[in-house]
Amino acid sequence: MSGALLRHPRVRNYARLAPAILTITLLFGGALAGAVRTSVLPLGQDATLATWRSLLHAPELGDAALFTLRTALISTLLAAAVAVAIALAVWRRGTWVRALLALAVPIPHLLVATVAVLWLAPGGLAERVLGALPITLVRDRAGLGVVLVYVYKEAPFLALLLLAAMGQGYREREEACAALGASASQRLRWVTWPTIRGPLVVGSIIVFAYVLGAFEVPLALGPSYPPTLAEYAFNATRGDLISGQSTAAATLLLTSVAAMLLAVLAVRLAKDPQGD
Amino acid sequence: MTAAGLNCVDIAASPGGSPVLRGLSLQIVAGGRTSLVGPSAAGKTTLLRVIAGLQPIDEGRILVNAVAIDHLPPHRRGIAMVFQEPRLLGHLNVLDNVALPLRAAGMPRAARRAIAAERLAEVGLGGLAQRRVQGLSGGEQQRVSLARALSADPALLLLDEPLAALDPNRRGELRRLICDLQEQRRLTTLTVTHDRSEAAELGQRIALMLEGRIVQHDEPRALFERPVSAAVARFFGVANLLGDRGGTLAIRPEHVRLDPLATDRRGVVLEAVYAGDHVRVIIDCDGRRIHAHVAPGAAPRVGEQTGVEFPPEHVWRLPSTSAAAEEATPT
Amino acid sequence: MTEPRGRLGAALIAALFSVPLLALVTRAFADSWRAPALVPQELGLRGVRIAFSGETGTAFLNSLQVATLTVAIALILAWPAARVLGERRLRHPATVFILLAAPLLVPSYAVGSGLTEWFIRLGLDGSTTALVAAHLTFVLPYVTIVLLSGFGPGLTTLEEMARVSGLSPLRRLALVSLPASAPTVAAAALLGFLVSWSDYGSSLAVGGGRPMLPVVLLPFVGADPQVAATLALLFLAPALLFLVLTVRAGRKPL
Repeated sequence: MSGALLRHPRVRNYARLAPAILTITLLFGGALAGAVRTSVLPLGQDATLATWRSLLHAPELGDAALFTLRTALISTLLAAAVAVAIALAVWRRGTWVRALLALAVPIPHLLVATVAVLWLAPGGLAERVLGALPITLVRDRAGLGVVLVYVYKEAPFLALLLLAAMGQGYREREEACAALGASASQRLRWVTWPTIRGPLVVGSIIVFAYVLGAFEVPLALGPSYPPTLAEYAFNATRGDLISGQSTAAATLLLTSVAAMLLAVLAVRLAKDPQGD
Repeated sequence: MTAAGLNCVDIAASPGGSPVLRGLSLQIVAGGRTSLVGPSAAGKTTLLRVIAGLQPIDEGRILVNAVAIDHLPPHRRGIAMVFQEPRLLGHLNVLDNVALPLRAAGMPRAARRAIAAERLAEVGLGGLAQRRVQGLSGGEQQRVSLARALSADPALLLLDEPLAALDPNRRGELRRLICDLQEQRRLTTLTVTHDRSEAAELGQRIALMLEGRIVQHDEPRALFERPVSAAVARFFGVANLLGDRGGTLAIRPEHVRLDPLATDRRGVVLEAVYAGDHVRVIIDCDGRRIHAHVAPGAAPRVGEQTGVEFPPEHVWRLPSTSAAAEEATPT
Repeated sequence: MTEPRGRLGAALIAALFSVPLLALVTRAFADSWRAPALVPQELGLRGVRIAFSGETGTAFLNSLQVATLTVAIALILAWPAARVLGERRLRHPATVFILLAAPLLVPSYAVGSGLTEWFIRLGLDGSTTALVAAHLTFVLPYVTIVLLSGFGPGLTTLEEMARVSGLSPLRRLALVSLPASAPTVAAAALLGFLVSWSDYGSSLAVGGGRPMLPVVLLPFVGADPQVAATLALLFLAPALLFLVLTVRAGRKPL
């Protein structure tokens, strides 16, 4: 009886999926559960929402949230713009360009940050080559260095998404419209933009969600105030012994939920009737 | 001579580095309809792309209605092209796809939609204006493509194997549609096709391209029955090329007569293969292989002796040039 | 690609990668490089000395160990799941994909802090197990996603051929499935390794003070450029090596 069950294709599929799915569910679910638990159970106390209340009333949280949102927004918009420029410039070239862009993907953010500081800090190499930089880019209040690092890392990723979308019959449609009287700018508006709009929007939302969780890059070269949400959480752990961990957990939970909600939004937009 | 609708003069082009078109010249009278045929990779599509401006030329000139266009970008050449795939825009409905060339020309929305609706009706798809292109069949999509090209009101219409992706039943309808629309408008048209018999229907004249040049451009009968060279002959199915003192003689298999009683030329039947509406017979005649297509009822059997006759009205002597003589092989 | 624009583009991109690398190497061995000089005043091994006087060696080995274990486990868990997903055998794959994507959006620091709570209770905090578990949370999704792109009708056709030819399941795996999917496995392994190797947030949260290379590197960035550059090169080295090996493995003929 169990033999037949085991041979049923559906069961076999689930059995194959189980190890990975269970592991992720356990670990990720555990992380979320752990965060919730810590946020309502400050050290040595009973369950309480006090941490949450004081967190949500803390003005520093507002500053951190605003700074994080701003950084994420600017990084995403710039990365998207650069990605579109790259995609338009190289879509005709062969696959070697895509391979080069793909090389940027596995480079650690921290490594990029290290090189960024080397170049962009006061006294850094860029200053020596170009003369004094008009703006501070490291440890500046605006967090521009952070933005640059994220743009450097995420623009190639977005460009790859766009180039993938431009692979399916894009060249053919573009040619057809040219051979029917559409000028270059008309083709950009009527063929190119509809093709890249979908992946650009979805990809940008994903980048935005990711930069919301910015941690080591601002730690390495961002301003000490305001911190990003993740930094705020980290600082909390080094602060008040009793409520620190709790506050940190609550902050991180907020950030995580925001990121996940944004991703859901991205998926909804991707399934929009405006074509798949 | 009447003004040429299309005049290609000595075109050389080498997409991808190696020369594909060499010294190619082609003329189509204004309002004329020509089919372009040739072996695959001969450069037919390249020629179309070069005329459309999608590929640059190394040398030569292209004139449409006596106006040089070879230095103009594709969208300013006054041409319209239909490809093997429909290449429609998925985010627009059928009507807006057809209206695209008019939109490119700056026509306001209401006007262009009205004209597009007319074109759509002309290709028989009047009721599909509001549909999404994804839901249409291949044949319907290709008709939309055709309507779109017509709404561009071009001076020259280019079609690159427009029927190749359709299933055979649909091809006939679309073929007739293309011919009808072309004749109504007197639109200079150049169609690439790899199908010899389709070429005869799609073109008032057929141009054969071999090795990057046009070797013969004539009415269909001429290419089938009066080819200018052995290469042309072979392409159009003239399987019998016989060298004699004066040059080369050509005769189509359909015109070879087998008479068991004839005495002039006799041979032994090597092969007799039933092919549906005829039997393909190969006869060994003094060491030469003669191909004949015979009605199934009258076909001889393998091993039989039979007489082979070449009715003089169907024998064609290839024009004598040294090239023609070299290419003919006494088989 | 021989036209001048193509070559310029290639040169530009090559520069974009090699110039920062060159800068890193130079900085690492420049004992003294005061502004505004473009060339270091003094070359030396101060960076190396300081970098290795601390926990760097341990950190390097820890990160290596954790990354290797994580990616190995991830590949084993991901393979069967990726086969199901890649061959589109699910009727409603959306739920699974959501589950795969969620851990990738959340900051790894959040994952680490959330899990630390449980690790402390189990007495595992700071242990290799804890680190691997924390890393696995996001490495496993990455590896699964990359791996599934290599599975599909192509591979199943080959395997069917092998089955019809009479090969046993194990031999099929060794002679057909693995070699055919080698490039994808290599890419998945590379990405998984690098994600774990370069992770800062969860290594910090779960490490409990256990030295990991990114955590050791960060404080030096900005504070001591020479040591930072040295550590960065160390940080980069296995990634480069792994990259070279994977490209080679991916190119090996069947």
